[in-house]
Amino acid sequence: MATELASLAEPSAGAGMSGAARAQSAIGAGIVLRDVVKTYGDFRAADCISLDIRPGEFITLLGPSGSGKTTLLNLIAGFQKLDSGEMHVDGAPIDHVPTHKRGFGMVFQSYALFPTMTVAQNVAFPLRMAGVDRTTAERRVAETLEIMRLSEHAQKTPSQMSGGQQQRVAIARAIVRRPRIVLMDEPLSALDRRLRESIQIEIRELHRAIGSTILFVTHDQGEALTMSDRIAVMDAGRIVQIGTPVDIYRHPQNRFVASFVGESNLIEAEIVQRRGATMALRNRAGYVFEADAGHGIEVGRATVLVRPERIAIADGPGPHAMPVTVTSALFLGEVLRIEARTDSGETLLIRCMDAAGRSLPAAGERLHVSWGAADCWVLA
Amino acid sequence: MSAATTTFAGDKRGSVLGRLSNPALLLLPAGLFLGFIYLLPVIDLFRLSVSGPTWSVFFERVFSVPLYWDSLVRTMQISLTVATLCLLLGYPTALLIRRTSGITQILITAAVILPYFIAILIRTYAWMVLLGRNGPVNKLLTGLGVLSEPAQLLFNRGTVLLGMTAVLLPIMVLSIYSSVSRLDAALPRAAQASGAGPIATFWRILLPLTLPGMGAGFLLVFVAALGFFITPTLLGGPGDQMFAMHIVQQADFINSEGFLQALAVVLLIITLLFVGVAGHFLGFEFIWGGSRGEGGAAHVAAARASEGTPRRSLLSGVADRIGWPALRLLSRLSPAWGSWTVFILAGAVIATLILPILVVMVISFSSASFLTFPPPGFSLRWYEKFFSDPNWMDAFWHSAVIAAASAVISVVLGASAAMGIVRSEIRGKSIIMLLLVSPVIVPPVVLGLSLYSLFLRFDLVGSIWGLASAHAIGGIPLVVIIVSAALQSVDRRLEQAAALHGASPLTVFRTVTLPAIAPGLAAATFFAFLHSFDELVLSLFLSSAQLKTLPLMLWADINYQLNPVLAVVSSLEVLLVVIGLALAGPVLARTRAGA
Repeated sequence: MATELASLAEPSAGAGMSGAARAQSAIGAGIVLRDVVKTYGDFRAADCISLDIRPGEFITLLGPSGSGKTTLLNLIAGFQKLDSGEMHVDGAPIDHVPTHKRGFGMVFQSYALFPTMTVAQNVAFPLRMAGVDRTTAERRVAETLEIMRLSEHAQKTPSQMSGGQQQRVAIARAIVRRPRIVLMDEPLSALDRRLRESIQIEIRELHRAIGSTILFVTHDQGEALTMSDRIAVMDAGRIVQIGTPVDIYRHPQNRFVASFVGESNLIEAEIVQRRGATMALRNRAGYVFEADAGHGIEVGRATVLVRPERIAIADGPGPHAMPVTVTSALFLGEVLRIEARTDSGETLLIRCMDAAGRSLPAAGERLHVSWGAADCWVLA
Repeated sequence: MSAATTTFAGDKRGSVLGRLSNPALLLLPAGLFLGFIYLLPVIDLFRLSVSGPTWSVFFERVFSVPLYWDSLVRTMQISLTVATLCLLLGYPTALLIRRTSGITQILITAAVILPYFIAILIRTYAWMVLLGRNGPVNKLLTGLGVLSEPAQLLFNRGTVLLGMTAVLLPIMVLSIYSSVSRLDAALPRAAQASGAGPIATFWRILLPLTLPGMGAGFLLVFVAALGFFITPTLLGGPGDQMFAMHIVQQADFINSEGFLQALAVVLLIITLLFVGVAGHFLGFEFIWGGSRGEGGAAHVAAARASEGTPRRSLLSGVADRIGWPALRLLSRLSPAWGSWTVFILAGAVIATLILPILVVMVISFSSASFLTFPPPGFSLRWYEKFFSDPNWMDAFWHSAVIAAASAVISVVLGASAAMGIVRSEIRGKSIIMLLLVSPVIVPPVVLGLSLYSLFLRFDLVGSIWGLASAHAIGGIPLVVIIVSAALQSVDRRLEQAAALHGASPLTVFRTVTLPAIAPGLAAATFFAFLHSFDELVLSLFLSSAQLKTLPLMLWADINYQLNPVLAVVSSLEVLLVVIGLALAGPVLARTRAGA
């Protein structure tokens, strides 16, 4: 696979180049959106969105359905016209460039393979439209099919192939021209979990090899976390946070992001004391814990995010542990998922790795849990 | 589970009861009925056509007398022109329906569907009114100073083509729309994202995918046009005689037996030949608007792609060399031209379909004693005349009774046949379906002629049940098509669930199946009724002076003198169709959604 992928890189990029060097010679284009607005009647599908996408970046638009991510993608693809705002690709405005002259590649949720054409003809279509001569086109199609491991299916029609194969054809068609930008509209949502995971890795490696900017739309947070360089979380037509997967997961800026990405415990607490860079907080059950005071909240109440896997289970009662009552416990294989209730009646979700000697707690059992300053994040 | 099923089936096979409960038996009544009233007369037609001194003597005459030969060539030419016109006008209309949404889409669809259900006779009459000496077109042209005095716009080849195209357009639009509507909306977008402009998207993606729909529409229109009688008779001049018209004229001469049947056989064989060739390429499902397999257009295309005959690639090569560069020239025009072309053509189509009907409805309220537009004043005198004239009223009641009887026959036989075909394990289902639906493609003139001798033999001419049965020949296919589609959309698991919980087959049918297909049955009843109510050509052959139907009265009056009473009848028919569609519309939408 690695050598196949290397052949995809621009001819100027030598075979011996490292991954980083290849990414530097990337063909990807930067996209800049400024105050983009799109409304349907009263509904603001894109509400003043500004976004800078770096050349060669894998960026994901993540959000629930109706959050405006598909609208944004359609605006960038040129299927819909902006109401106001600006869009630039590599510094040039594209608002008035029709879709077919933008030169992007696109992968659709429904694959959208042309049913009257064979696999090879589907993949050759963008080259044909670009007026690439026949020999070059045939070579490029063969190369691309090779990379997507579709060579033996070249003469089949889409209806003769499985969903996963069809999606790989759709990806091949999107990248055959080495486009500067590839748009992907929930491309994996119609596939089963196993297939989805293997194609996720394939797309990731493909991105490294071809260096195109990839704009990926999904509502699946796991997919966004695994694949992206950066994630833009969307809600109600706005981008509510943009950052690296680690950033988004560990340092969400509001309750929406915190609860949409990953499982979370949002704990209401009262600030008891500030000590330089840290502060002490007390939750309703009376448990006192420390957190970073980065956000500048001085006094009063705060919402603190503690991810379930950051909660430690203590051996027994102690001054720095909070007693909770187990309400349910599930064995998920590598982890145990425990739901418990604090003495003040709040629900607490705990995930801990399965380990030797650890038994699945029974409902009603008392546990003692704790977390440190590095394990929690005070929401702004 | 499957083992249990086989043992049950094994038990049943032995007993008489088991054999009687085979759903395939439900095909029997319709089979017997159509065998007697449809197949037998057609076979008799063939027998008579070869009953001369030598078998070929009558056919030799058909092909050697210039009158008939010329007419045959003319019929082909007219049919081909009409089908081409329908295709050119119907395609943009289908695209427009697809592209619009909401109330606009509903209005355009109504403009296409409504005329489809109005009698050909009435729509042809509307054109006579529109283009007549005192009609709106002449008034407009003289008013604008284009003509110094009203001109004779009727009775020439142009009006025949116009009238037939207008009458047959809805078939084309619906046929193309059914293939357009199945398209994945992402396909044109995928083409654009791959760098294809609007014209390339049309040529490379849209056109290949809608080709089966276009082919089906073209053939349905062409085949219907071959047997056309009413429109060319009313709108054509002496030089526009179509083949079916010769058959009706010859039928008046008692001494032309044998030759007459030979004429009909020639028309029938030509029709079947075209249907056969088309069926070979498109699948015979095109006749009833179905598609081969699940994938529809895509499936056919895929099958073709894998066959990959050199001839086909040669053809597409030629299309690529000539059609594509020609279209590329158009790409210099602004993209707005494309949508404007669709808009203007489709607008013209909708005007053609709806305007004549509107004009007739306005004229029905005219106060003038002759046909003129705009009317000098408005009154209800012609409605009064219609409702007080015993001749019109008798005809109305005859038509209503015959249509009701025909609907009953069609629905009882058609629905049980549909059950039999959908729910049995019988072999050769597509052949049986083809036979059940085939009356749709037989030219009515041929059918009328073949029935005439049967009706004479059994003294059925001019009897209500005779006419109702004759009309049911065309009604049964409609019912079979609608009800089998409704049945196929019923989830078999619902029936299995009911049976599992202890319901007997009859209870399952009554409590699960019947409620599910009831909307389809209602729609089928309405269409079977309407089919008989509008039927003219068979009635021309099979009715008597005592049993005049409404279309027969209209026919006689149109040929005799054009008066506003006809407009009244037409308006009432439009009202009937509108009410019927308003009642059946939601029902049909539901069955279609389910299917």
